Amino acid sequence: MAAAKVKPTKMKTKKVFSDYVISVTIFIVMTVVFVTTLYPFLNSLAISLNAASDTVRGGITIYPRQFTIDNYKNIFTNEKIYRAYGVTIARTVIGTIGGLLVTGAMSFALSRKTLVFRRFYTIMCLIPMYFGGGLIPTYIITRSLGLVNNFWVYIIPSLVNIWNMILMRSYFAGVPDALEESARIDGASYFTVFFRIFWPVSTPIIATIALYFGVQHWNDWYVPTIYMIGREDLKPMTCVLLSIINEAAYAERMAAAGASAEAIGHAAQGVKTVNSRSITMATMIVSIIPIIAIYPFLQRYFIKGIMIGSIKG
Amino acid sequence: MKKSSAEAAIQGANPKPNAFRQFLAQWDLQLLVLPGIILLFIFSYLPIYGVVMAFQEYKIGDVVGASQWVGFRWFIELFKTRELPGIIRNTLVISILNLTIGFVMPIIFAIFLNELRVAPIKKTVQTISYLPHFISWTVCALLLFDLLGTDGSLTEMLVTLHILPEKVNFFQKGEWFWGVALISNIWKELGWNAIIYVSAIAGIDAEMYEAADIDGATRAQKMWHITVKSIKPTIILLLIMNVGGVLNANFDQIMMLTKQMTNSFLTPYAQVIDTYSYRMGLALMRFSYGSAVGLLKSVINFILLLTANKIADLAGETALV
Repeated sequence: MAAAKVKPTKMKTKKVFSDYVISVTIFIVMTVVFVTTLYPFLNSLAISLNAASDTVRGGITIYPRQFTIDNYKNIFTNEKIYRAYGVTIARTVIGTIGGLLVTGAMSFALSRKTLVFRRFYTIMCLIPMYFGGGLIPTYIITRSLGLVNNFWVYIIPSLVNIWNMILMRSYFAGVPDALEESARIDGASYFTVFFRIFWPVSTPIIATIALYFGVQHWNDWYVPTIYMIGREDLKPMTCVLLSIINEAAYAERMAAAGASAEAIGHAAQGVKTVNSRSITMATMIVSIIPIIAIYPFLQRYFIKGIMIGSIKG
Repeated sequence: MKKSSAEAAIQGANPKPNAFRQFLAQWDLQLLVLPGIILLFIFSYLPIYGVVMAFQEYKIGDVVGASQWVGFRWFIELFKTRELPGIIRNTLVISILNLTIGFVMPIIFAIFLNELRVAPIKKTVQTISYLPHFISWTVCALLLFDLLGTDGSLTEMLVTLHILPEKVNFFQKGEWFWGVALISNIWKELGWNAIIYVSAIAGIDAEMYEAADIDGATRAQKMWHITVKSIKPTIILLLIMNVGGVLNANFDQIMMLTKQMTNSFLTPYAQVIDTYSYRMGLALMRFSYGSAVGLLKSVINFILLLTANKIADLAGETALV
C-alpha cells in the first residue's frame, strides 16, 4: 500500500481516486494469480491422497477428506512406472551433465576475445535461432544417424542449446581477465583455465543452466513422441503417465459397463478401490515432485541468470 | 594512428597464415568450441540443407538430397488442400494471440508485482507464479481436463457465478479452443516471463519515483511514465526474440490439449502447420510433403519477424518524439 511508504518529503502527496482503483486492481490480480496457480496443484494433491471411493462423491478441494496412500501404492504396482522413472532420471542426469560440459565449454571459448574465428562461430550459433529445417528434415537426418529408437536421441541433439550458450557466454565474459592471464602465464592450458578457474567461480550461472537443462529433459514429451515410436521400454514418465492414465480410464469404463472381471483381465486389478481420477492425480504428482521440490531453492540463481542474459543480450 | 593503420594494413593484406598459426597455437581453446560447433552443424545445419526434400520425392533409404526432383509438386498439392486455409488461420490466430495478449500479460504482472510493498507477499506470489513453468504440458493438460471438464471445479465455479449458463466440457467446444490455448499458455508462463521485466524494473533509479512524488504524480502516472517507459527497450528486445520462436512454441501444448489431435471437436480450430506437418510427414510417412508444409511455416515465420521488426521501428519512433 502506498500509505505504508513514509518518506521524508516536504510535500505529502494526496491520494487520488485512481490510486485506490489501482490498489484494488492489483490486489485482485495478485489474488487471482495466486489462487489459480496454486489451487490446481493442491487440488490434485488432495485427490491423490483421498480414498478413491470417496473422491467419486466429488467436492474435494485442497485437503483430503479420507486420507489414504492407496492410490500411490496402486500406481507403484505398475512396473511400467519404475522403468519410465529410470529412463527419465537417466536422461536428465546424463543430459544435464553433458549439456553443461559441451555448452559450457563452447560458451567459455566463445567468451574469449582471442579465439580465432570467433565471429564466424558466433554467427553460426545465431542463425539457427531464426531459421531451421523443420520437423521432417530434422527427423530424416536424425534417423540416418541411427538415433531413432535409440536412448542417445535424448542426449546428443540437446547437448548444445544456443539460448543457454548465450547466457553462459555473457557470464564468462564478465569474469575478470586477470584470472585467465595469470594462469596462462603460469603455463596452464585452456582446459585448466576453464575447468579449474572459471568453473568454480561460476556457480550461479551453472546452477541456472543445470536447472534449464534438467527441466527440459524431465518434461520433454516431444522427442520420445517423434523418435521413440518403436521402443515402449525407453519412453520417459511424460509418455508413460499418459498410458497409465488411459489404462485406468479404460478399466473404469469397462467396470462401469458391467463387463465381467475375466473380460477385463489384468487391466481391472484394483479397480474396486480406485478410480481413474485418483490414479491420474497420483501419477501426475509422482512425475512432478522432483522439480517442484528443487526449483524454489534455485530461485535466486535463475533470477540472476536471467538478469545476466537480459543485460548483455 | 599511423602505426596502427600500418599494422592493420599488414594484417589485412596477409591475414590467413597469421590466423592459421594462431589457430594452431590455441588448439586447446579450439577443442573446447569444436564439439558444440560440430553438433550444431549436424542437428541444425544439415536439416536446413534437408529442406531440398520438399522439392524432391524422398523415399526411405534415399541419401538426403539425392532423390528425384519434382519441382513444386508438393506445394501445388498443399495449396489445393481444402484444410489449408483453416490451418493457416489457426496458426496465425494462435500465434498472434500469444504475441499480443500473451506477451503483454507478463509485463502487467511484473509492474503490479513491483507495486506490492510488502516484501514477503511479493516474494511468495512470485515464487508461486513460476510453478507452472516447471511442469510439462502433459501434466498441464491433465489439470486442465480436470478443471474444465463437465464436472470440473472451474466449470462449476463459472456456472455458480453465472458466467456460463450451464455445465459444459470446454474440450468439446471447438470455437473456444483459441481462448483455452491462450489462457492456459498465459497461466503457464506468466510468472516465468515476468522475471526479466521484474529485474529490469529493479534497475530503475528510485530517485525518479521520488521526484515524481514531489511533482504530485498519481500512482497511475508513475506506473506509466516511469515504469513502463523505462523498461521499453527490454520489451521491444523480447518482442523481437519471441517472434522467432512463436510458431514452434505451441506444438506440445496443442498436441496435449487435443489428445494428440484425436479430439475431433477441436481439430478444425487446433490444427496448425506444425501438427499438420507432423501428421502428414511422420504419421502418414509422406516425408517430402511434410517438408513442404514445414517450409511454409518458415516463410510465415519470416513474415512475422519482419512485421515485428516494423512494429519495433514504429515504437522506437514514438519513443523519440
